[in-house]
Amino acid sequence: MKKRIVVDWSLRLAVFIAAVGLWELFVSTSQNFLLPRFTDVARGFFHLLFSEARFWEALYISNQALILGFAISVVIGIPLGLLAGRFRWMDRLLNPYVGVLLTMPVAPLIPIVIIALGLGIAARVFIVVLFAFVFITVNTRAGVRGVEASLIEMAKSFGASEGQIWRRIVIPGAMPAIFAGMRIGLGRAITGMVMVELILVASGLGRLLLEFSGRMQSDLVFATVLAVIIEALALLAGMQALEKRITRWAPDISIG
Amino acid sequence: MKQETVAKAAGNSSPARPVDRLWVLRRFTRENAPEVLALLAGAALWEVLGWSLGLQWLPPFSKVMEALAQFVASGVIVANLGSSLQGLIVGFSLALILGLFLGSLMGRYRPVEKALDIYVHAFFVCPSIVFAPIFFAIFGLSDAARIAIVVVYAMFVIVINTATAIRTVDPSLVEMARSFGCGEAQIFRRILLPASLPLVFAGIRLGVGRAVKGMINGEMLIAFVGLGALAQRYGAQFDAAKVFAVAMVVLVIGLVSNSLVQILENRLTRWTE
Amino acid sequence: MIKVRALSKEFDMRDNGAGVLALSDIDFEVHDNEFVTIIGPSGCGKTTLLRIIAGLIPYDQGEVAIDGRAITGPGPERAVVFQNFALMPWADVLANITFGLEVRGTPPNECRDKARDLIRLVGLEGFEKRLPKELSGGMQQRVGLARALAVNPQILLMDEPFGALDEQTRRLLQEQLLQLWEEQRKTVVFVTHSMDEAVMLGDRVMLMTPRPGRVKEMIDVPLQRPRSPQVEKSTAFVEIKEYLWENLRAMQVGES
Repeated sequence: MKKRIVVDWSLRLAVFIAAVGLWELFVSTSQNFLLPRFTDVARGFFHLLFSEARFWEALYISNQALILGFAISVVIGIPLGLLAGRFRWMDRLLNPYVGVLLTMPVAPLIPIVIIALGLGIAARVFIVVLFAFVFITVNTRAGVRGVEASLIEMAKSFGASEGQIWRRIVIPGAMPAIFAGMRIGLGRAITGMVMVELILVASGLGRLLLEFSGRMQSDLVFATVLAVIIEALALLAGMQALEKRITRWAPDISIG
Repeated sequence: MKQETVAKAAGNSSPARPVDRLWVLRRFTRENAPEVLALLAGAALWEVLGWSLGLQWLPPFSKVMEALAQFVASGVIVANLGSSLQGLIVGFSLALILGLFLGSLMGRYRPVEKALDIYVHAFFVCPSIVFAPIFFAIFGLSDAARIAIVVVYAMFVIVINTATAIRTVDPSLVEMARSFGCGEAQIFRRILLPASLPLVFAGIRLGVGRAVKGMINGEMLIAFVGLGALAQRYGAQFDAAKVFAVAMVVLVIGLVSNSLVQILENRLTRWTE
Repeated sequence: MIKVRALSKEFDMRDNGAGVLALSDIDFEVHDNEFVTIIGPSGCGKTTLLRIIAGLIPYDQGEVAIDGRAITGPGPERAVVFQNFALMPWADVLANITFGLEVRGTPPNECRDKARDLIRLVGLEGFEKRLPKELSGGMQQRVGLARALAVNPQILLMDEPFGALDEQTRRLLQEQLLQLWEEQRKTVVFVTHSMDEAVMLGDRVMLMTPRPGRVKEMIDVPLQRPRSPQVEKSTAFVEIKEYLWENLRAMQVGES
């Protein structure tokens, strides 16, 4: 077993080294002098972390929208999903809109949100919510629907009230799906945050990226992107760990 | 033995259905009445609010339809739609080829899977739009950048689904093939390929949806051609009706491409339960 | 003629590196045109043994020889019938039956002719174009049998072929198998859980004990051929069956 882990990680390391090697090769043979080397990016990354206060400022501003937006998405998304799961008519009513929001790219609507809410934090939060809440709703609904009818029947046979059924059967039963929905919603919220930063470029990380690329500091552009990727992966890994903890008993049925 | 066959034959008879378009439409509306009503109600509400509230960002539904009609009539849509679709098709094809190839390798050979899984997962999970600045730096303001974004958006969901599809092929089918003397290549062609088709198609369908998003997101960022550029331009002009109209065109593209894949999928996987 | 001498097979268990001895010191012979059934409690390795003879899994010690030659993998003289049918769900009955022939490069006309003969033989006329999902379990297994017979093997290896079927279908298929076997007396090794089946079908019954799998005894079944369903009521049948059950029961009770 241990041997297998060592082998696996050696393979992954080998791939990483090969990729970095190819990168260096590509950069050194390319005419494009804007292309940074791996070492430049690494150096730029540490520069951002330790010598660039504006990076942390930008991170803070951008994440404000993320945290607020995600929180609102959860507060809106879960109750909607619970209702849609429980009441058939509500489900059928919401269904086409949910379908549209799931498949339609939100990005083209960003200019409209800007017209409505300006360039401030309200617009950014709204866009994050738009990106995220549908996925939370859809998974929550699936979770409620997925609770075995026989369990609810069983509870009724013991005389449980509607409230008790919700509290003791439906919500615990739907938990895995709700958490899966939140994990996917978080990913979408991060996408929304980044999307709006890059399109609006008025504040936060987007503004930073614009500045760096304007000054031809492509190593810092790459480094900033790297930072975003790391943040996204870290947040999602954290969410997944939480999810695994709370839902040890369940199989994987997530949507998105 | 006779009873068995009779019973089975009876259960499997499918009555001949008249291919009557009107009939199909009527059945569709009857079965989906609540959903259709909900959409119509929404459109009506949009119309009312648009007129009564007079907000700059909420034009009445009819105005949006007007803008849409204008697009089609004036030909504005054609040029931009053309470049958008070009980027979409090239990008998606590339993503398909790369995704199927990589996914097959990962599904079939464990060392490949273990070597690449964390990277594929990382790419799949993080917001694909972050690669836009990188492609912009590499390719500049060009088609290559837009296409690269579509590839990154669509490829990884195809890789993951293909790998899972091949990995979860019923092992007894593979064993059966080996018992008849099949070599590696034969097993791949005769068993793995057809057996993995349903899940692979699921990946392709998801991939198409992602590709459309990649197309529009990429264009909004690297906004020099295509529908994304249009949306940005009209947004800058504060013309909400036109922006909504563009969004609807994108929605239609997404629905049409999804349906196309679905039709192909249904045809090729008629044998599934 | 199948000769198995001092056969051992060990499986690696991943977690602690220790192995599980599935088969130990297996010794027996199957003569040409003989029908041998193998029976034993769960975990006695009978399916493993069959798969080794089929050449699907390697063995650790000992020797498995067919007509004097040690086996190194699957071969044209052997064909397997699987418990869960192993039919390709995307291919129709005809295509499933011709699979083995196609793989060996038989020209399509010959394949089709052979397949049609076999379809008639197993009683599936009219179902050539049907997909497996449209067939009952019994019909699917008849396709599996036809497929095995299509390659004209000397030896038929059957791994609990009727185990997934209901009792009525099972009995019908047993009768049909016996009929077929009377016409073409192939060498058959038939693994089963069912004592009725073991005695009804076999010339000899091989009784195995579990953990590790060993051959306890080879029991002759001196009942007249061709076997009819009536034979179940004969004294000899009942005696042999009782003997089997006494032994099997002792093995199971010893377990718990």
